[in-house]
Amino acid sequence: MVGFLVSEAFRDLRRAGRVALSAILLITLALAALGAFWIVTSNLGHAVARWRDRVRIVVYLRHEPDAAALASLMARVKAVPGVAGTTYVSRADALASLKRVLGKDASVVDQIGQNPLSASIELTPSADASTPEAAREMLARLGAMPEVEEVAGSADWVERLSEWQRLLGMIGLGVGGILGLAAILTVTTATTLVLHARRHETEIMRLVGAPEIAVRMPLLLQGMIQGLLGALLAVAVLTVAYRLAAPHLEPLMSLTLGLGEFSFLPPAGLAALIGAGTLLGALGGWLARAGR
Amino acid sequence: MIELQGVWKTFSVGPVRVHALSDVSFRISRGEFVILTGTSGAGKTTLLRVLYGAERPTEGEVEVLGRDVPSLGRSEVAALRRSLGVVFQDAKLLPARTVYDNIAFVLRALGTPRSQITARVFDALRKVGLSSRAQAYPAQLSQGEAQRAALARAIVRKPPILLADEPTGNLDEGMATEIHDVIKDIWTSGTTVILATHQAGLAAVLKRRTLVLERGRLIKDQG
Repeated sequence: MVGFLVSEAFRDLRRAGRVALSAILLITLALAALGAFWIVTSNLGHAVARWRDRVRIVVYLRHEPDAAALASLMARVKAVPGVAGTTYVSRADALASLKRVLGKDASVVDQIGQNPLSASIELTPSADASTPEAAREMLARLGAMPEVEEVAGSADWVERLSEWQRLLGMIGLGVGGILGLAAILTVTTATTLVLHARRHETEIMRLVGAPEIAVRMPLLLQGMIQGLLGALLAVAVLTVAYRLAAPHLEPLMSLTLGLGEFSFLPPAGLAALIGAGTLLGALGGWLARAGR
Repeated sequence: MIELQGVWKTFSVGPVRVHALSDVSFRISRGEFVILTGTSGAGKTTLLRVLYGAERPTEGEVEVLGRDVPSLGRSEVAALRRSLGVVFQDAKLLPARTVYDNIAFVLRALGTPRSQITARVFDALRKVGLSSRAQAYPAQLSQGEAQRAALARAIVRKPPILLADEPTGNLDEGMATEIHDVIKDIWTSGTTVILATHQAGLAAVLKRRTLVLERGRLIKDQG
């Protein structure tokens, strides 16, 4: 029976001819667009994560706090939304750090007499503070603390990158969604043509008492085959495009975003694309036969 | 095997009600050859459609092979049809498939094991005298050959009942006689046959039990 269903599905696919081909190409376009945006946004995501880890916000204090005041201050700083990590740098630590940076010129610092540096707290922002509004609110709260002299540093450009990532993700979903919808409608059209072409088969099958699954399943299967072929073609297009473009893009990505590698979709992502294509095709086939 | 009791089938066309079958009752036993005759529009086709579950009677009881046909659901009707062979005036062959494929199609759709298909198709083709035309396409067949192919398709599953609705309506006298001979051969092998025809003279030629319908009423049951 399975052999019969599959061979009938392929026969139906041949009957649908150019319309089926259009459906396959539209599914290829939809999934290739979705996949391409997915690759770009996931690489931007890697860049954002990498740079977010490196962002430091320094909160300079008016006075060096004693141990009790420091504990209280650190607790309040950690409680500010968007703060992922904190490191306290005392005035002495800051001076030692400066000397390390100056190296053989460190003796210049000794000539000043007293330590001119402020105590500070170095913060790492969390992903929660990734929107510009959240970052601004975090900085404002820190700046409003009475012990704080100044807040230096900003995650603005990282957040702009993050916004680009989100925007591209949305565009990808939008373009993929519209093309996906067109693909579903084309599969539905192809299946409707097949329904008309195979009306004699359907009549004979019903007349001889064929089970309903034998009557209907080929229609669903031919839709799924269109989806699967479209998805496989999309994966092939993405793979070829990646192999051709990656060597040229990687130096640019390294220079602008600090990414050493321009990564492709993971196997699970490819499987998801293939699954989505098959599902699109099945949906188109189902929509056509649901009306009958 | 087949029993109808007080069967009515009424079609409504707007305000007009047409009685295609009016209070029809009869019984057909296993192995009978019954000719169902009457002029065009007498209700022969409707009666056959009621027997294979394509029409539900408006009123009355219909029993085929022990099944109460009007009460059957879709899957039960399909199960009933697996025990019936049906042929029509139009052979209803699939034009893009060979004679062999037309017959094998039915077996494959019903899940017959692949190993049995070829033998069963050629067995059916032999019975209707069409073995040599197995690879021909319907367009390459004469009308008589096409009707033989349709008969082969109907009997390939060895159904206990064959329903034939005007199978010779499109054929000249010579071809019609050939088809009637084939149907008689099928009957002699043990199949119950109901042959619907508007050719009143056929009943006299075939000398079998005849049911005569007129405007949906069974007016004669003889032989």
